[in-house]
Amino acid sequence: MTPVIEVEDLVKQYKKTKTPAVDGVSFTVQEGEFFAFLGQNGAGKTTTISILTTTLAKTSGTVRIAGFDIDRQAREVREAIGLIFQRPSLDRTMTAEQNIRFHAAMYGLYPYRPSFRLMPADYRDRVTRLADIVGIGDGLFKAVAKLSGGMARKLEIVRSLVHTPRVLFLDEPTQGMDALARRNLWDYIDSMRRELGTTVFLTTHYIDEAEGTDTVCLIDRGRIALCCPPAEMKATMGAATLDDAYVAYLRSRPGLDATTLGEVLVESGVRR
Amino acid sequence: MSALTPTTALLAEPARRPTWWRELNAVVAVTARDVTLALRTPGMIALSLLMPIVMMGLIGGNLMENMAGGLPFDFGQFMLVGMIVNMLVMTTTMSMTSLIDDSDSDFSSEMLVAPVSRYAIVVGKILGSSFTALITAVGVIAVGLVMGLTLSLHAALGLLALAPLMCLSGGALAVIVMGSIKSKKAANLVVMLITMPQMFLSGVIIPIGSSTGVLFVLSRILPMTYCVDLARAVVTAGTPEYDSVVLFNPAISLLAIAGLTVVCLVIGTWLYARSERER
Ligand SMILES: Nc1ncnc2c1ncn2[C@@H]1O[C@H](COP(=O)(O)OP(=O)(O)OP(=O)(O)O)[C@@H](O)[C@H]1O
Ligand SMILES: [Mg+2]
Repeated sequence: MTPVIEVEDLVKQYKKTKTPAVDGVSFTVQEGEFFAFLGQNGAGKTTTISILTTTLAKTSGTVRIAGFDIDRQAREVREAIGLIFQRPSLDRTMTAEQNIRFHAAMYGLYPYRPSFRLMPADYRDRVTRLADIVGIGDGLFKAVAKLSGGMARKLEIVRSLVHTPRVLFLDEPTQGMDALARRNLWDYIDSMRRELGTTVFLTTHYIDEAEGTDTVCLIDRGRIALCCPPAEMKATMGAATLDDAYVAYLRSRPGLDATTLGEVLVESGVRR
Repeated sequence: MSALTPTTALLAEPARRPTWWRELNAVVAVTARDVTLALRTPGMIALSLLMPIVMMGLIGGNLMENMAGGLPFDFGQFMLVGMIVNMLVMTTTMSMTSLIDDSDSDFSSEMLVAPVSRYAIVVGKILGSSFTALITAVGVIAVGLVMGLTLSLHAALGLLALAPLMCLSGGALAVIVMGSIKSKKAANLVVMLITMPQMFLSGVIIPIGSSTGVLFVLSRILPMTYCVDLARAVVTAGTPEYDSVVLFNPAISLLAIAGLTVVCLVIGTWLYARSERER
C-alpha cells in the first residue's frame, strides 16, 4: 500500500486567536482509501482540509499529498487533487457552464473559448453527462445567482469532477442536496473509486454517508480522538449504525457528558 | 436524469498539455472572465465613458483655456496623450479592486487551488482589468476629437500597440497594494491615493522636467512616468516638438517600464498569494 496523504503533527493557529484550531494532528490515508473525517462544528475539519489542499498556511508540522510536500511542491499537489469547498466558491454572475469552463481551462484540460458552442465536442459531452448525473441539466446555462442553493451545490460537484483527481477532498459535499442527487453522487464516487482508484477524503455531518468508508477519524477540538474502521467503532460502542456509534461516542467522551439540553447549554457556556 | 452507468460516466480525461500552454490558457480564462463580467454590466461601461468626459473635457479643457499660453509646445496634444495613458493606467488600477470581490465571494480559492502559477492568475486579472481601460482610452480620443485635438493614424496605432504593456505596468503596481487589502472601502481609498498623485507626478498634464527632491525620486520610480514619456515619443516622433516634450530615450523608457513591471509583479504576486494563504 502507498500512503497518499501523510500528515504529521499538524498545527494551525489562526492569527489573533489564543488556542490552535488544529492541535498536533497526525494520520495517514492510503491510495484508494475512502476516508471519513468526522467531528462537531468547529472541530477543525475545514481548517485541516484547507491546509492539505494548499489554500491555507500551516503553523507547523509536515504534510505530503501524493508524495509531494504541500509547501515546497504546491503545484504538484494541486495537480493531484480535486476539492469541494464547504463554502460556495462559484462566480455568481457567470453561468453554471461558464464556471465549469473556467475550471476546465485552469486545469489545462481544454483550450478556453469564449462560448460553449466553440468548446471542443469532448468538453461539451463531458459537461452534459456530469450535469445529468447530479441533475442540473437545465440549469447549466443559467447564471449561478439564479440557481437554487442545492443546484449551486451540484454545480460545484460537477466542477470538481471535470478533471479526474487522484485525491478528492469533499468538505460536506451534499449539504442542501436532495435525496436522489445525493444517491447518484455517491454512486458516481463509488465508481470513481472502483475504476480509477481515487482516494476520497470526506467530511460530513450526515454520518450515514460515512458508513461505507474504510476508515473513520474523529477530530475533537483540534485533536484526533479516534481512528478506526466503522465496523470497529460500531462494535466498541455497541451500536447498530455508525450514526448511533458516533453520537454515543460524543456523549461519552470526557469533558462533555451532558445529555440533556439544559446540561448542554451549561457545558457550552450559553447558560449558567 | 439518467441512471448512473459508471463505465460511460467516467470519461477518459483528455491528455494534459505542456506547462507553457497551460499557463497561457489560464491567463486567457482569467482574462475572459473579467471581460465577460464587464460586458455583462453595461452600466460600468457607460460610467467608464463618462470618466473621459470629466477628465479630458472638463479638467483638460479648463487647463487648455486658462493655463496653456506661451508654451513651446502644443499643450492640447501634450495633454491628450497624457490623458490617454492616464486613463489606461488609472482604470486598470480601479478595476483591480475586483481582487477583493473575488476574495469576498471565495472565488479566489477556486483560482488559487488550480495547478497554475500565481503569476498566470495575477496577469490574467490585470489583462482583464485592462479591457475597461481600453474603452476609456478610446473615450479620451473621442472627447479629444470633439475638442478639436487629433492624433495621426500611426500615432494612434502606436499607442494601441503599447496599451497592453502600459496597463500591465499599472496593474502590477496595483497588485502590490491591492493584494493585501481585505476591505473594498479601503481599496477604493487606496486607488484614489495612488491614481491622483500619480497623475501629477508622472507628467500627465503638467511637465515634470524641473521636478527635484522627493518629487523627482517619486516620478522616476513610477512606471507611469515612462509610459507617458514613451507615448509622447511615439506621437511626436520626427516633429520639432519631440525635444521639448520627451524626457527619456524611448528605449530607456521601454526598458524602465518592463523592469518596473517585472519588479512590481514579483512583489505583488508574492504579497497576494501570501495574504490569501495566511489567515
Ligand atoms: N479565518 C479564521 N480565523 C480565526 N479562526 C478561525 C478561522 N476559521 C476558522 N476558525 C476557527 O477554527 C476552528 C475550527 O474551524 P473549522 O472551520 O476548521 O471547523 P469545522 O470542523 O470545519 O466545523 P464545521 O463542521 O462547522 O464546518 C473554529 O473554532 C473556528 O472558529
Ligand atoms: Mg467545516
